[in-house]
Amino acid sequence: MRIEISGLTKTYRGGVAAIDDLDLAVPTGMFGLLGANGAGKTTLMRILAGIVRPTSGRVTVGEHDLGTGAGRTAVQRDLGYLPQDLGVYPDLTARQFLDYVALLKGMDDRTVRRRRVGELLEVVALTEHADRRLRGFSGGMRQRVGIAQALLADPQLLIVDEPTAGLDPEERIRFRTLLSQFAGRRTVLLSTHIVDDIGQTCQEVAVLAKGRLIFRGTVEELTRRAEGQVWSVVTDGPAPTEGTVVSALPHDDGMRYRIVAPSAPRPGARLLEPGLEDGYLAVAAGRGNASRHPAAPPGRRP
Amino acid sequence: MTAFVASLRYEFRMQVRKRTVWIVPALTLVLFVLIGGSLLRDLFDPAERPVDPRTAVVGLAVQLNALLSIGFGCLLADRLIRDDRLRVASILDATPASPRARLLGKYVGVAAATAIPVSVAYFGFAAAYAVDTGEPRALGWALAAFGALFIPGLLFVAAFALAAPLVMPAPLFRVLFVGYWLWGNVVSPDMMPTLARTLVHPLGGYPLAAFFDFHGIDGQDTWAGPIPGATLNALRPDPTPALAWLSIVLLLIIAAAVLAGGHALRTRRIR
Ligand SMILES: Nc1ncnc2c1ncn2[C@@H]1O[C@H](COP(=O)(O)OP(=O)(O)OP(=O)(O)O)[C@@H](O)[C@H]1O
Ligand SMILES: [Mg+2]
Repeated sequence: MRIEISGLTKTYRGGVAAIDDLDLAVPTGMFGLLGANGAGKTTLMRILAGIVRPTSGRVTVGEHDLGTGAGRTAVQRDLGYLPQDLGVYPDLTARQFLDYVALLKGMDDRTVRRRRVGELLEVVALTEHADRRLRGFSGGMRQRVGIAQALLADPQLLIVDEPTAGLDPEERIRFRTLLSQFAGRRTVLLSTHIVDDIGQTCQEVAVLAKGRLIFRGTVEELTRRAEGQVWSVVTDGPAPTEGTVVSALPHDDGMRYRIVAPSAPRPGARLLEPGLEDGYLAVAAGRGNASRHPAAPPGRRP
Repeated sequence: MTAFVASLRYEFRMQVRKRTVWIVPALTLVLFVLIGGSLLRDLFDPAERPVDPRTAVVGLAVQLNALLSIGFGCLLADRLIRDDRLRVASILDATPASPRARLLGKYVGVAAATAIPVSVAYFGFAAAYAVDTGEPRALGWALAAFGALFIPGLLFVAAFALAAPLVMPAPLFRVLFVGYWLWGNVVSPDMMPTLARTLVHPLGGYPLAAFFDFHGIDGQDTWAGPIPGATLNALRPDPTPALAWLSIVLLLIIAAAVLAGGHALRTRRIR
């Protein structure tokens, strides 16, 4: 399912423009969404999930127009949504909670529903806890229940908002792999602050800042945005103030800093190969190399 | 339809399993019996109880309805806002299920669950009375009183209890509600404005007067109709069976309007 977003604006009451005249196309496959806190990722996802109404602009998912009630319901029938701020009913068991959500998703047939809930409990490795009340679940276990409910209806569009927050490393990698395998000909929109998760799963990625699109392209392109900008500096003096410090490691001669900056932050700084995180930082700091594939064609926006 | 049934079923299940839903009415009853002076005891005392089984059972309905509705309203006050507070709402809102059907299912489900201890108490006492007096007709009157008095009254209370906490903290609602209940039902209407004896009295003054010919245990009270010198007398025509039906319908219409208002408010907020 292809998502087409044009001129999308969401201004919350109180005047915060969480999404500001956004144009974006999301193809089938895994698509990553990056951006600082408050960039508007969750707002965009809640609009796509039919929960929040845009202030203006147009969104279509497949052939459905999210601006109409019928369109929203049609999209929601084929949607899995894992909210960032996930909650569950503490007084239900994992199995009951999934059964409830499945019913609301219109899975009327009892046998089919039970089988599907059982399968998903297996997928998220909760089978042995299936009949325990959710009250006693750890954060990561609840997150897995959230993942299971998102996959219930075998959705064509899966929207996952920081799904790996709170998962242990093994579980995180397992989930990442699950997402990639799930994607196939479906659309998976993944937002995260763990840049590495996007590098491992997505072909394409968009970066939002203050509700606007500041990058859209492949993962390789985002990485290349930091080409010639990633430096290694070893010093026993104060930390360099130019650019963005990516990491600081103790070293024989003081500290070794990895820095993203347009020019050498110190004489003797050594140029490094960029990684995806460097590319993201360069773009986020507004210093990314000009791209051959600009986010929006010049002149399209007044 | 599925959304309605699904949310009815699960909301019922979650509420009926809550211990407080059983403890609050049980404590209320125990307290009331201990304080004494109530029908609950007199019902089993041949010297004290009303001669007519209808008066006895309908009087019991009035007392239990007045008493248990207080806890009933308080127990429902967190049910609607809890979806947002528990952060489950996003998941539910992203399903294709109609939000209106979900709200209606929740309303009926939680109201029914919370009414179970109330009906167990009422029918328990009524059955014990029927056995004690050898009056099976008492059970028929109990059934009629439940339908005409408890159900509309509790549905009326439930709508306010679900919706009001959208505009005020639930504990404040509980305080105001208990205050209203005592004000509306205990204080005499010519002392201050109250809904007592009006068409929209949640204890059902018009059905009491017109359907059950009930005038208090000792036959001296008036439950519906004008009171000289009281405000709101426009809402207190002389009772007739048609007006009793109207009164029930009005209670349900107000309940529906309050729910619809709550729904609109919540929708506006999340969007
Ligand atoms: N319900 C709301 N009412 C008012 N303002 C809101 C609401 N939700 C979000 N905002 C504001 O909109 C902006 C974007 O928020 P959003 O949650 O979409 O960002 P995000 O990219 O998901 O951030 P994070 O990485 O922290 O999750 C922020 O300035 C936030 O304060
Ligand atoms: Mg967010």
